[in-house]
Amino acid sequence: MSIMEYCGAAIVAMVGKDCVAIASDKRLGQQQLTVDMEFQKVFPITERTYIGLSGLATDVKTLHDRLRMRVNLYKHREERVIEPKTFTHLLSHMLYERRFGSYFISPVVAGLDKNNRPYICALDTIGCIDSSSDFVVCGTAATNLYGACESLWEPDLGPEELFETISQTLLSSIDRDAMSGWGAVVHIITPSGVITRDLKSRMD
Amino acid sequence: MDPIELRLPHTLQRPQATSNHEPITHSTEPIVTGTSVVAFKYKDGIMMAADCLGSYGRMAMFRNERRLMAVGKTTLLGMSGDISDYQHMQHTLENIMTQEYDMDDGQRLGTKSIYKCISKIMYNRRSKMNPLWNSYVIAGVDSGEKVLGYVDLIGTTYESPTIATGYGSHMAQPILRKVVEGREDEITEEEAVKIIEDCMRVLYYRDARAFNKLTRAKVTAQGVEITEPYSLETNWDFAESIVGYGA
Amino acid sequence: MSSLLSHEIGYSAPIEVHNHGFSPYVNNEGTSLGICGEDFVLVASDTRQSNGGYSINARRSPKAFELSNRTVIATTGCAADAKQLVEDMEQRAQYYVHKHGREMSTPAMAQVLSQLLYTRRFFPYYVFPIFAGLDAKGKGAVYNYDAIGNIECVSHYAYGSAAALLQPFLDNQINKAHQRGADTTAKPSRAQAVKLAIDAFTSATERDIYTGDWLEIFIVDSEGVHKLTRELKHD
Repeated sequence: MSIMEYCGAAIVAMVGKDCVAIASDKRLGQQQLTVDMEFQKVFPITERTYIGLSGLATDVKTLHDRLRMRVNLYKHREERVIEPKTFTHLLSHMLYERRFGSYFISPVVAGLDKNNRPYICALDTIGCIDSSSDFVVCGTAATNLYGACESLWEPDLGPEELFETISQTLLSSIDRDAMSGWGAVVHIITPSGVITRDLKSRMD
Repeated sequence: MDPIELRLPHTLQRPQATSNHEPITHSTEPIVTGTSVVAFKYKDGIMMAADCLGSYGRMAMFRNERRLMAVGKTTLLGMSGDISDYQHMQHTLENIMTQEYDMDDGQRLGTKSIYKCISKIMYNRRSKMNPLWNSYVIAGVDSGEKVLGYVDLIGTTYESPTIATGYGSHMAQPILRKVVEGREDEITEEEAVKIIEDCMRVLYYRDARAFNKLTRAKVTAQGVEITEPYSLETNWDFAESIVGYGA
Repeated sequence: MSSLLSHEIGYSAPIEVHNHGFSPYVNNEGTSLGICGEDFVLVASDTRQSNGGYSINARRSPKAFELSNRTVIATTGCAADAKQLVEDMEQRAQYYVHKHGREMSTPAMAQVLSQLLYTRRFFPYYVFPIFAGLDAKGKGAVYNYDAIGNIECVSHYAYGSAAALLQPFLDNQINKAHQRGADTTAKPSRAQAVKLAIDAFTSATERDIYTGDWLEIFIVDSEGVHKLTRELKHD
């Protein structure tokens, strides 16, 4: 089995009208064994940029710590908050530094830029950026999420509609993936702030 | 019923019973092979072509192989893959056609029936884990309907307006899909000949197992016509400009 | 020495040497789905046949078939095996008609399919069938199978290369999973089912290279089998 499928994850980000959403499941596993039901996979980077890290849990923690350090250094040197796109390139370079011994992580970035324009993208383990104008997915439930997103997503959804869409997408997808689930969390990033909601789901 | 050329095996004797100590062996790879067969539907029927080379590995061993044949009067068969397996299939088909002739019931096997028959032979052999290492293209006009089908060593079948086997599926099929698809009932015989010769020329340029001596055939409601082997005009001027891997 | 031994025993069976380098299977991919309604069933398949790699064999090579006036079968997997299996089913259905003077019931035919698959338990048909029809009461029934005949009766199912893309969507739209206040027992209407099938396949075609070209939809109701065809993307 691939090390990318060792812990299990389902992460999805979607673009709405002047808002973006990012959501993940909460399961942490060691293959088929569930060891944690409150594992954090989506992290705030700034007040309006979030990152979702799917893959090996130890790398999720390491990469999150290193990113926090790099973003703080950026803030001190530049005296401004990092933009989602800038952050993505920072992340991309950090991943490519380990080109021949990579972190077992495929990240998703979602945020609003300084003009309140939505930005989402996904990266592979060595930092190839795949930006998108509709939705991005990653994790063991990626195929399921692609199918659900492709059918359920539509353009120009408001924050509440986007919340409903991303929640339905995620919950339907994790129900058909044995490696992810056990609750979910959704963040809706809007110009006026972030709405965070926990979702209950099947616990099996 | 139409006259049929009978070519029976030289000997009908069964081979000596093998010793108990020898294992039963099946073919694991093709030996003498023919490369692509290209075929497509046009206005009057189906056009098909194959070259005359029997390759022994990388060696251009036999340079006068006929890989297109008529089965009965209205069906055309093209083969790529192992030539001994093809000859076995020829014998089988000749036997079947002879049996049908002997029935003397005024019925003749149409293209669809022959297609099904070959498909079943191929699928049964693969199910015994002893395949005939071939891809066959079967063409004909059956009750006024153009039939063009494919079957391979696994028994996979499909019908399509354009078919190309082997390297042809990579190099000729894109040309055919572009030129033929949607125009199956418009293309004249003259244009069809040009299209198929373009395909065969491309294959000769780039397929190392291809040969510039080929047979072309058409099958229409009037029956099968297979040409004698002939060569295509080629132009190798472009070769001078190729440096390294560049095209 | 070994030959002497053989003579003493008197007989030794020839050893069957299975050849290497030949695989009797190829996955021709494609996607099939079945949706069960109150008084109808819907079965849909795309018509693309691939060669197991990046080549498209044919754009129109159907893998869903009408078996009788009230049953249809949709396949995915190895096209050669699927063809053999469907022909076997047709033969069994026909034989039953000759013997009993009426068509086999849908549950009976579902069972026959399971048994046919199990006959090849140790050299399986590499086929994943969805079988659908109307039962004795005129209600819809969708059955799905694994390659060796395990059978399950479900409200909806997707098989094939885009199964993982379709299934969560169908769960959400048909079972209304996670939709608060929705009637989770209600079955889709005919118009809804057709719309869902077309939407699902349009989405699958976007992300799955083995699904596309044409969509064939079979609807079975009390009047018989109706067939619709829709164009999908050819890329």
